[in-house]
Amino acid sequence: MLTLFRNLFSPPRHMILLVAAAWIGLTLAEKRAERHGISKDELNNITFYGLLAFVIGGRISFVLQNISIFLKSPSGIISINPDIFDPIGAAAVAFIVALIYGQRRNLSLWHTLDALTPFFSILTIGIGLSHLAAGTAFGKETSLPWGIDLWNAARHPTQIYETLASLLIFGLLWFQKQSPRPGILFLTFSALTAASHLFIEAFRGDSVFIFDSLNRNQIIAWVILATSFLALELRFKKTKNTG
Amino acid sequence: MTQSQRITLYILVLIAGAAWIFLNAAPTDTPTVNTAAPQAGFTAPDFSLKTPQGETYTLSELKGNAVLVNLWATWCPPCRAEMPAIQKMYNEYKDQGFVVLAVNSTIQDSALEIPIFTSEYSLTFPILLDEVGEVSRMYQVRSLPSSYFINRLGIITEVVIGGPMSEALLRARIEEALK
Repeated sequence: MLTLFRNLFSPPRHMILLVAAAWIGLTLAEKRAERHGISKDELNNITFYGLLAFVIGGRISFVLQNISIFLKSPSGIISINPDIFDPIGAAAVAFIVALIYGQRRNLSLWHTLDALTPFFSILTIGIGLSHLAAGTAFGKETSLPWGIDLWNAARHPTQIYETLASLLIFGLLWFQKQSPRPGILFLTFSALTAASHLFIEAFRGDSVFIFDSLNRNQIIAWVILATSFLALELRFKKTKNTG
Repeated sequence: MTQSQRITLYILVLIAGAAWIFLNAAPTDTPTVNTAAPQAGFTAPDFSLKTPQGETYTLSELKGNAVLVNLWATWCPPCRAEMPAIQKMYNEYKDQGFVVLAVNSTIQDSALEIPIFTSEYSLTFPILLDEVGEVSRMYQVRSLPSSYFINRLGIITEVVIGGPMSEALLRARIEEALK
């Protein structure tokens, strides 16, 4: 089953999973957009500009980080290689563009983030599946019975852990009663996703360690978790005072 | 849930998270560099193959150089399209210790086509014949071309599946492998 899945979506076809996740996520987000005071058109527009900025921003960020190389081979800037891409730069540019679009259209940040939460949530499921297909984000070696044979060893199926955690988070948020406080849905998603990564990262076999021994991704997840808690509390306080 | 209950919960979760980070501190498990696998971060699986002229190349003997293992076939359009860029980069970086091993997937190609192909593209780097598909199996190749950039220590730094690779991408990956 796993082999069949990995053969079917082996790189570069694993990108199909991300595109499918984005499409399903957007469809689900559209269904609930009006509950959050955002029209379907506004949601589609902000996602369109965000995704466009993601693609262009990822390329620009990679080029800027390797500027000396692109000065020697400038035609590479517009080449079709999907590997000329920096995902962190892409996410930052997409966020900035979406923020600017939202401000120009007078969209409330928290209402918009709540409306986009199903999109983000399904996207994290797609990321887990694409990791599984590509064999990236792999686990440490294990003798546990559910270990999967990957890269010449039995390993923790961290990609499956990641996908199941994302599915669980999506289920919890999709079926929970709607909070009257804007921002709570998105911040709950953000806190739960950070917590799940903080836990699962311990089983990853490709972690990067900083300060000699601390797992970099766990520290990032902990900071996001703490920020989400702080923002949640501020949202509770603000909506209590105003409402 | 009251505000004080929520804050207590946040603090407990953050303390548990910090404890989990410290509990998992220090990479105690066997590092991936001790395992051979066709994935970034692992040691490149070793192989020995012959050129059409009968010369043998062994990957592990090239330690100390940055190596590009490129799996290709004459009938594969993106493989053909990226060859001029690979040749150009080979000319530019070979003096810094960059080696190209162009492994022809001979099991699914015609060995007779190879000399025509190499002269058509004026290729000067070694072309190796994977006649029984050993390297394709070892590197779990599912698409052609597949390229593996290996650093001076014999560790895979990047894998590029599909093509054609542009000069800029090749340059970025080679410079990283040469570090």
